[in-house]
Amino acid sequence: MEPQLSWYLALSAILFTIGVTGVIIKRNVIAMFMCIELMLNAVNLTFVAFASFFQDVTGQLFVFIVMTVAAAEAAVGLGIIIAIFRNRESLDVDEASILKL
Amino acid sequence: MLALLFILFAGLAIGCALAVVAQRNPLYSAISLIGVFISLACLYIMLAAPFIAAVQVIVYAGAIMVLVVFVIMLLNVEQQERGRTRLKFLVPTAVVLAAVLIAEVAFILVTVQEFRVNPTASPSDIGITNSIGSGLFTRYLLPFEITSILLLMAIVGAMTLARRGGLLSPDARLIPGAQTLPLHLVDPSAAPDDLRPVEMESSEEAARLLGVDPRLTRKE
Amino acid sequence: MDTAIDVVLKLVAITVAFVVVLLVVAYTVLAERRILGFIQGRLGPNRVGYGGMLQPFADLLKFILKEDIVPDKSTRFIYFLAPVIATMAALMTMIVYPFGPRTGIPFTSITIPLVIAHFDVGLLYVLGITSVGVYGIALAGWSSNNKYSLMGGLRSSAQMISYELALGLSLIGVIMLAGTLDLAQIVELQSNWRGFHWFIFLQPLGFLIYLIAAIAETNRVPFDLPEAETELVAGFHTEYSAMKFALFFLAEYINMFTVSMLATTLFLGGWNVPFAESIFGRGTFLFGLVSAIGFLLKVIFFLFIYIWLRGTLPRFRFDQLMSFGWKFLLPLALLNIFITATLVYFSYNF
Repeated sequence: MEPQLSWYLALSAILFTIGVTGVIIKRNVIAMFMCIELMLNAVNLTFVAFASFFQDVTGQLFVFIVMTVAAAEAAVGLGIIIAIFRNRESLDVDEASILKL
Repeated sequence: MLALLFILFAGLAIGCALAVVAQRNPLYSAISLIGVFISLACLYIMLAAPFIAAVQVIVYAGAIMVLVVFVIMLLNVEQQERGRTRLKFLVPTAVVLAAVLIAEVAFILVTVQEFRVNPTASPSDIGITNSIGSGLFTRYLLPFEITSILLLMAIVGAMTLARRGGLLSPDARLIPGAQTLPLHLVDPSAAPDDLRPVEMESSEEAARLLGVDPRLTRKE
Repeated sequence: MDTAIDVVLKLVAITVAFVVVLLVVAYTVLAERRILGFIQGRLGPNRVGYGGMLQPFADLLKFILKEDIVPDKSTRFIYFLAPVIATMAALMTMIVYPFGPRTGIPFTSITIPLVIAHFDVGLLYVLGITSVGVYGIALAGWSSNNKYSLMGGLRSSAQMISYELALGLSLIGVIMLAGTLDLAQIVELQSNWRGFHWFIFLQPLGFLIYLIAAIAETNRVPFDLPEAETELVAGFHTEYSAMKFALFFLAEYINMFTVSMLATTLFLGGWNVPFAESIFGRGTFLFGLVSAIGFLLKVIFFLFIYIWLRGTLPRFRFDQLMSFGWKFLLPLALLNIFITATLVYFSYNF
C-alpha cells in the first residue's frame, strides 16, 4: 500500500500540534524558538506533499521561500535573544514578558 | 515497501519532535530538532522533491541549527528550572487542547474524500532542480527577489544587534586602530547622556579621553 | 528477483567502497608520517613491516587496547555522540562519487555503473552532509567540559562554516558549465578534447578557491589552528582517548579523502584517462579498470598535495584565517561566478 496524501497531512498536523504545545509549555526562549521552527517545518511538509500529489511544482517553490524566511528569522531572532540575555542574564520568557528590566 | 519507509521516517520525526518538547536541556532539544529535520528530508525524497530535501539539510540542519547550537553554547544555557509562580494548569491544558486539535484534523481527513483532481504519487520529474529553477526565475521571480532583499535585511539586522555598544572599562585592552566614542566624552560641553558616536583619529587619543593608559594601545 | 540482485550488488559495492576507503585512509596516515619525515630530513616510521607498511595495523591495535578515559563532568550522551556524528558525516559522502564508467563484469553479461548511489542532486547532497559534519566538532568541544576543548571546538566550527560558503560558491562555476548537479553527468561531460575539457582548464580560479576552501574545511595546515599541538592543547579532541579519538582522527582523514575525491570528480575529470577510450573501447572491463585506477591516482595526487602543504607552510592565526575566508575568498568566489556566467552566456548566444 502506498502512502496516501492523508497520511502526510496527518503527520504534518501532528508535528504542528507538537510545535504549538512546545511554544506554550516551554519557558526557555531558545526552546520556544525551536518549536516555532518545528511548526514551520510541518507546514513545509504539507506544501511538499500537495506539490507531489497534484503534480505542481509551486508547492516546492513556496517551501524554498519559507526556508529562506525561516533562515532570516533565525538570524535576527537569535540576535534579539542574545541582546535580551545581555540585559537580563536569564532566558526565562515568563520573567521577560512583563517587560521590566 | 514505501509505506514501511513512511512509517519509519514519520515515527522518527514524531519521536524527535516529542523529544524537542519534553527535554529540559536545550542542547538535547536542539539535537532532537536536527533529527526531525533529517527525517523530514528523507520524507521529501520519498515525495519526489530531492532538491528541497538537500536544501532542507543544508539550510535547516546545517546552518540554522548550527546557529542555535552556537547561541546555546555561547550563553551557556542550563537546564530549565521548575517554575515558581506558574499557572499550574497550563501543561495539562496544552496537552488536552493538542489532543482536541489532532482529533479535529483526523475527523476532517477521514470524512473528506472527494478531490477535484485525483491525487497520485507517481514518480515524476517535478522536483528536479531544472523545474524548480525554471519556476523560480520565470513565474515566481518577484518572490525570489523579495526574498533576497529580506535576507539582506536579516544580515544588516543581525550585525546591528550583535554589535557591542557602550564604554570600555578602565582596565580594558584597546585594539590598535581608531575607536568610536560617545559625544559627551569627546566634547565636554555636550550633555552627559549624549551618546552620538564620534570616530576618533587614533587609539591614543581615544585612550586619553577614556582615562585608559595609552601604552595599552601599542601594537604588540 | 531483480530487486534482490540489485540489493546484493549494492551491499557488495558498499562493502568494497568502505574497505577501500579505510585502507586508503590508513595508508594515507602512514604516507603522511613518512613524507613529512622526508621533508623534515628524517625517516618516518619504518620498523613495523617492510618500510613501515604494517604501521597502520599496529596503530589500530594500540587504539583498541588503550584505556578509555571519560571525563567526570562531561555530558555523557553528547560526549559519546560527537565522534559518531563526525565519522558518519565523513563516510556518508562516499556514496555519490563515480569511480568508473559503466563496466561489464568479465564472463557475465551484467553491466554495473561504478557508483553506489546515483542522485540527480549529488553535489548538493555532498554539501549538505559536509554541513552536518560541523556538529561533531562543536558538540565534542562543548561536551568535554574543558575550556581548551570549548575554544578549540568553537573556533574549528566557526572556521568550517565560514569556508563552507566559499566552497559552495566556487562550485557554482562548475555547475554552470555542466548544467547539472549530477556527479556522474559532470564526469561524462569532461571526456572530450583528449583531457583538455577537464574543468580545471576551464575554471582555474574556481579550482584554486575550491582547493583553499577544502583545506580549511578539513582543518589542515595552514588552517589547523584549532587543533595544533602548540595552541589549544589538542583543540576539540583534547579529552578524547582510545577509540573515540581514533574515530575523530579517522573522520579527519576520511574528510580529506572525500574532499580530494570531489576535487577529482569536478575538476580533474573524475575517471577520465585521456587516451583510454580509444585504446580499450567503452564498456569493457579493462576500460573500467583503467578508469578506476586513474581516479585513484588523481585522488592520491591531491592527498600528496595536502601532505606536502603540511610539511611546508606555517599556520594562520585565527583572526587572519577568518578575515581571509570572509574578506578575500568569498568576494573572489563571487567574482568567479560573475565571470563564468558572463562567458557562458556569451558562448551560448554568439
